[in-house]
Amino acid sequence: MNTGFAKSVLYVCVLALGIFLPIIFPAYIGQMTLLWLMVIFALTWDILGGQMGYNSLGNIFFFGVGMYAAAMIQVSMYYDLAEYTSPAGGGIYEFSFSQYFTGMTVGFTVAALVSVVFAIILGRLVFGLRGPYFAIGTLAIATVAGELVSTWELVGGGGGLSLPNFPGEPSGSRTLFYSMMFLLAIATFSFLKWLYSTRFGLAINAIRDDEEKAEGMGIRTLQHKTVAWSISAFFLGIAGAIFGNFNNFIEPLEVAFPTTTFGIFMVLMVLLGGKGTLWGPVIGAVLFHIIKELTWTYLLGWQWVALGVLIVITVVYFQQGIMGWLMEKYPHWFGIRVEGAKQRLSDMMDEAAK
Amino acid sequence: MFHYRKTIAAATLTSALIATSCTAYGASPTAGKILLGSAISLTGKYATAGHHAKTGYDFAIAKINAAGGVKIGDKTYMFEVKYYDDESTPARGGQLAERLINQDGVQYMLGPYSSGLTRAIAPVTEKYKIPMVEAEGASRSLFNKGYKYLFAVLSTSEQYLASAVALAARVAKENGKAPADVKVALAFENDPFSLDVRAGVMDDIKKHGLTVVIDDKLPRNLTDMTPTMTKIKALKPDLLVVSGHSKGAGTATRQIAEMKLSIPMVAMTHCESADLVGKYGPTADGYLCATQWAETLTYKDPIFGSASEFNTEIKKTVPAYAKKSVPYQLAQAAAAVYVFKDAFERSGSLDKDKLRDALATTDLTTFYGKVKFSDAGNNIAKPMVLRQIQGGKYNVVAPVDFASHELEWPRK
Repeated sequence: MNTGFAKSVLYVCVLALGIFLPIIFPAYIGQMTLLWLMVIFALTWDILGGQMGYNSLGNIFFFGVGMYAAAMIQVSMYYDLAEYTSPAGGGIYEFSFSQYFTGMTVGFTVAALVSVVFAIILGRLVFGLRGPYFAIGTLAIATVAGELVSTWELVGGGGGLSLPNFPGEPSGSRTLFYSMMFLLAIATFSFLKWLYSTRFGLAINAIRDDEEKAEGMGIRTLQHKTVAWSISAFFLGIAGAIFGNFNNFIEPLEVAFPTTTFGIFMVLMVLLGGKGTLWGPVIGAVLFHIIKELTWTYLLGWQWVALGVLIVITVVYFQQGIMGWLMEKYPHWFGIRVEGAKQRLSDMMDEAAK
Repeated sequence: MFHYRKTIAAATLTSALIATSCTAYGASPTAGKILLGSAISLTGKYATAGHHAKTGYDFAIAKINAAGGVKIGDKTYMFEVKYYDDESTPARGGQLAERLINQDGVQYMLGPYSSGLTRAIAPVTEKYKIPMVEAEGASRSLFNKGYKYLFAVLSTSEQYLASAVALAARVAKENGKAPADVKVALAFENDPFSLDVRAGVMDDIKKHGLTVVIDDKLPRNLTDMTPTMTKIKALKPDLLVVSGHSKGAGTATRQIAEMKLSIPMVAMTHCESADLVGKYGPTADGYLCATQWAETLTYKDPIFGSASEFNTEIKKTVPAYAKKSVPYQLAQAAAAVYVFKDAFERSGSLDKDKLRDALATTDLTTFYGKVKFSDAGNNIAKPMVLRQIQGGKYNVVAPVDFASHELEWPRK
């Protein structure tokens, strides 16, 4: 089969599912919004973890930064933030239609920018670290950020912050956040598909394969690493801003900087789907989310045990992830011509025999 | 063979559970059932208190159903409840509320455990105009959002330990000491509930003119308070106020004993929920415990009887509480279900908007205390009481109207 045609069919199917599933199953729109969030998590983690060989455990930092930046802007544009977040409560705060959407537009833009700025600054600090040291270093950034925000009274500290209520019908807000998350996931995927086909993609692959050699060949590694991390931060920052509004209530440790849940899920989803591939993270995220939602519903109280079993199975039996396993088992699906190689090998054997 | 049987038994039990939950899933009000929904903390840091609340809901539902259920017009309905585990995280609570409403068809919600989770769920129930009667979210930050569908049976958190400060000031005066000489140490978990308890305590400290020498905000999932305890050893405060849910109460009690600290007055929340008497015995003697409800109070209602009858029946039917104090988290959860029953019967309809209006005009005396909601949805008819652990028993010492025992000061 023509692989180009097959790919086009696949893209159309994914788009059609994304558009029509929430219309056919409107009750599940919340879970589908989260599904796209998981896809964004996995795709953005794979930029560093899969394509560049830097296993970051702190990417969730940008998610939280985006979330808090947007929330602060959305509230402080119209009310005094300190009063709004006071544990004792103040007046009643309402946001009109235009206030809500203006705040959101400005908030989301700032969220993306602030996340990128943080990626550039922190990149200077952590990209000197390699291997496990990089993983621990980035984890520390996310953990410390959660703790610092918990003590920051202006944003409500550990008490958290409620975001403006949607000024319309509930179905409107659900469709809005679903569409935002879906579009962001599509944008992330399309951008990364393009990015991996450019010289930049090759350069970060070179860093993964041998950083010293890459540097020897003239690739500016620090610059490339920082840009790659900034791209992750950009999409994660916006995702955080959308999720904050979708969840309506944010707090530092479990919603904004949840290193032990979302922070680990993004790594696990990529490992499950297949590191360093474009579709691997997407497949991993979809499978992971479905398994997670099912265990949460039907194995109440045992959901974390089921998740643990999934991690063990992935790590022990599917180290290459689903995409890696498929590539090994059915290389011709991916345009890898094994037959030719075999022919060449037998030709070489014949030559040697002569 | 034994293991084989055990597996079969476990499989049968699991299938039975799944079958039961599927039945609940499919139930609709028209079938003579009223389906309530709740996302509750069954795992995670609030699991202990979450289980207390769930036991309260289950007990009340069984009791109300056994007493003939809910009578609306000439029809009788039985309560059923659908639970999800929110894992004590607000990131999950809101989504589960959406799921209960959209997928399981829940039209009436029971609250989750903790103010944080309630803050995550209330915007969802409000959005869908689903009446929620909650029993475990006390922070005032819940009642300044203009919510119309949120009703809380408990007193707000700033009232929890305020009377402990007043007691400390009174004791100081009786002993000829100026209030400004009373040194107070504060240790609060960094979460919506405890921060609001702190706000209430701070207001009272200002009012009585006491001096704060330690003001620590502690991380979630409190398992170590050594830095605070070390400061206490050095500064010797006259009053220590702690709020950190069940874990905070347990950790503080353990470490006060381990470090042999002598503090004349210790006040905290969640003593009963953390089972301080059962777990720490005499070391917890003399502690002042804020409580929403005490079994010695004189309130009563036709379903549960008096507070002490409720207490006895829980101990009899739920073996886990046979030898320990019944926590108020359980009692108020049961009261929330009772408030629903009363509102359904007064509204005479299953319509959620009529139910909401009936809830707003609730004026009910329950075994838990009086319930009457302000426009913001909090209960304004019930005071908090302060109990002291005296010889392994919880005795009410404040406010004066409810006190059954004298304050023992200083604690030994």
